[in-house]
Amino acid sequence: MSVLFGVLTPLERAISALLALCKVLSVIALAIMVTLILGQIFFRYALNDAPNWTEEAARFGMIWMTGLMAPVAYRLGGFVAIDMLEQALGRTAAAILNLVLLGITLWLLVVLWERGLNNHLDTISGRGCSSTLRWPFGIEIGRCGEKFANRYQYAGLWVGINLLIVVNIEHILRNVVTLLGGGDRLTDHRPAEDIAGAS
Amino acid sequence: MLLWFLPFFLILLMIGLPVVFALLVSPIVLIMMEGDTRNVVAGLYRNLYVGMDSFPLMALPFFLLAGEVMNRGGITMRLVEFSQAFMGHLRGGLAHVNILSSILFAGLSGSAVADTSALGSTLIPAMEKNGYTRRFAAAITAASSVIGPIIPPSGIMIIYAYVMGKSVASLFLAGIVPGILVGAGLMLTVRLLADRYDLPKAERIVNKGQGISTTEYWVSLILIRINLGGLLWWIGSFFLPDGGAELGWALFAAALLAAHLILLGYRKRVSADFRTVAKKAVAPLQTPIIILGGILAGVMTPTEASAIAVAYALIVSFLVLRSMNGADLWHVLMKSALSTSAVLLLVGAAVSFKTVVSLSYAPQIMSDYILSLSENPLILLFLINLLLFAVGMFLDAGPAIIILGPILGPIFVDLGVHPVHFAIIMSVNLTVGLATPPMGLVLFVASTVSGEKVETISKAILPFLAVEIAVIFLITYVPAISMTVPYLTGFLGCGPELSFGDCISPPPGGR
Repeated sequence: MSVLFGVLTPLERAISALLALCKVLSVIALAIMVTLILGQIFFRYALNDAPNWTEEAARFGMIWMTGLMAPVAYRLGGFVAIDMLEQALGRTAAAILNLVLLGITLWLLVVLWERGLNNHLDTISGRGCSSTLRWPFGIEIGRCGEKFANRYQYAGLWVGINLLIVVNIEHILRNVVTLLGGGDRLTDHRPAEDIAGAS
Repeated sequence: MLLWFLPFFLILLMIGLPVVFALLVSPIVLIMMEGDTRNVVAGLYRNLYVGMDSFPLMALPFFLLAGEVMNRGGITMRLVEFSQAFMGHLRGGLAHVNILSSILFAGLSGSAVADTSALGSTLIPAMEKNGYTRRFAAAITAASSVIGPIIPPSGIMIIYAYVMGKSVASLFLAGIVPGILVGAGLMLTVRLLADRYDLPKAERIVNKGQGISTTEYWVSLILIRINLGGLLWWIGSFFLPDGGAELGWALFAAALLAAHLILLGYRKRVSADFRTVAKKAVAPLQTPIIILGGILAGVMTPTEASAIAVAYALIVSFLVLRSMNGADLWHVLMKSALSTSAVLLLVGAAVSFKTVVSLSYAPQIMSDYILSLSENPLILLFLINLLLFAVGMFLDAGPAIIILGPILGPIFVDLGVHPVHFAIIMSVNLTVGLATPPMGLVLFVASTVSGEKVETISKAILPFLAVEIAVIFLITYVPAISMTVPYLTGFLGCGPELSFGDCISPPPGGR
């Protein structure tokens, strides 16, 4: 058990620090999204000259917001699931079931990680350049020059999958601890308020 | 082999795998078992990304944010006081207030969970103090909160519209009357229960002698005149040649003057406290007017309207009401980003899932099976309502819509049910499922807020659920209830050659 906690405690601290940064970046992304769309409306109606890049920039923000914040939601138990079977089982059986489910999830995330990496590096769209987003102040980077590379936007999801894998491993370790009877020594990650979702 | 992904998906769902992962695991496992020679899994990954990369979908985080800002800015208490000033004096007054507050809150938030949490924490203790049992107070809070996602703005309707490729605006407009109907049905039930259980009346004004800031006073004074003047202008345009186009702004000025005179006349009939409470609700209640007005006038897309709603909520909370600070703003941005990210990932997974649904023969097999039960659309609609209701008991409305929409939608459209009508049937049914035992999400929230057991609330909510089920069947079999508003506003896309009946109930296989 002490070996398990020796691995889990620093991992939890590292994840907490990492996800705290993700939260800050997500909040900034959401604030920028709102500002861009309000700017788009202002330019269209007040100046009769809507910029063509605001919509894509806002979508850029939304992908990164999702990629960075979804792992936080996953850690807090914010992904909807039917947990009736788990509740009907005893503690040990429920922990074993959870481990099986977490194993399935880890397999999925690793598959997505590999396909995602290929998508960003090898495909035509992954190697392409944005049609509207450009670096400011005449900056030119890489093959796309002044244009944003598409993979900057795609990377939002891929980074999110990386973070989901890390959180999944944390969940697995916590379940092993629960299975071995140390569940009451784990820190509680549940949120103070319900995560409302769209409902 | 791909055909087995649906049963496999259901098994994964039932054993407790989160919906977002189950949507992806089931097709990917079966495709990889077949060898994935055409790199379909990479396509699913791309669709996961493409599903989230959408401008219309951006309305979801923005509407959630606008609702959170309004709620954090102290709007809830104002809406409750406003509702109480109108309905508190009736028998079962606070129960009526609970329902009316939910209807008003629905125009700001669009989330049943937020409604239960915000209104429950205020009204459940107040109702208990007024002589209601705690279980009744929790039950009516949970039952009325389902109005939130039915009246626009609505998170689940944005998701449905996006996943099914329909217009958000038409779904929003179609939800207005059903939402009000649910509210009216609940009020009728409360009225009947009030006689049987001798439910108490309440004071119309709780906090007498309240003040109002000068800024808010003038903002409310101007806004209420613009609202009433705009309404008179719109009504007047029906009675004038060319809709009063020749008179232009003069007609609006006359309408404003008439509104001012009407309000001056009304001023003498009500107390100063009533006027203050009403004035304090004017600024928050502009949000649905801005959203629907912008969309109906055709000057804004739903996404732009949602961004304007955020800006308006921030202006009202920071500058008019002065009820928020920087820390509050940070908190609401964080909460909105958190809620949205889980939903957006789910929508992305749903788009991937939908690709596999269309690749497999599942819809045809499902269609053949459903049609083998009966060829009468009315009977099939009854059966599908039972199915949706059963699903709603166990699954949250958003994921349920994402899973069932792509499978059931095309079948019923082929049978002659208008896509918007079917969307409303699904949305209302699954939303009511949020308050249905054993797994209704708002029952758990109401339990947390009230401290009453879920089982106890589940029993007390049954009369209200019966009314909501009756409304579902009313909406199902009388399409005009939901379809009239989008038809009249031209959002159903029917040409002048189509009659009202043909437009809202197209022939089988017609559209």
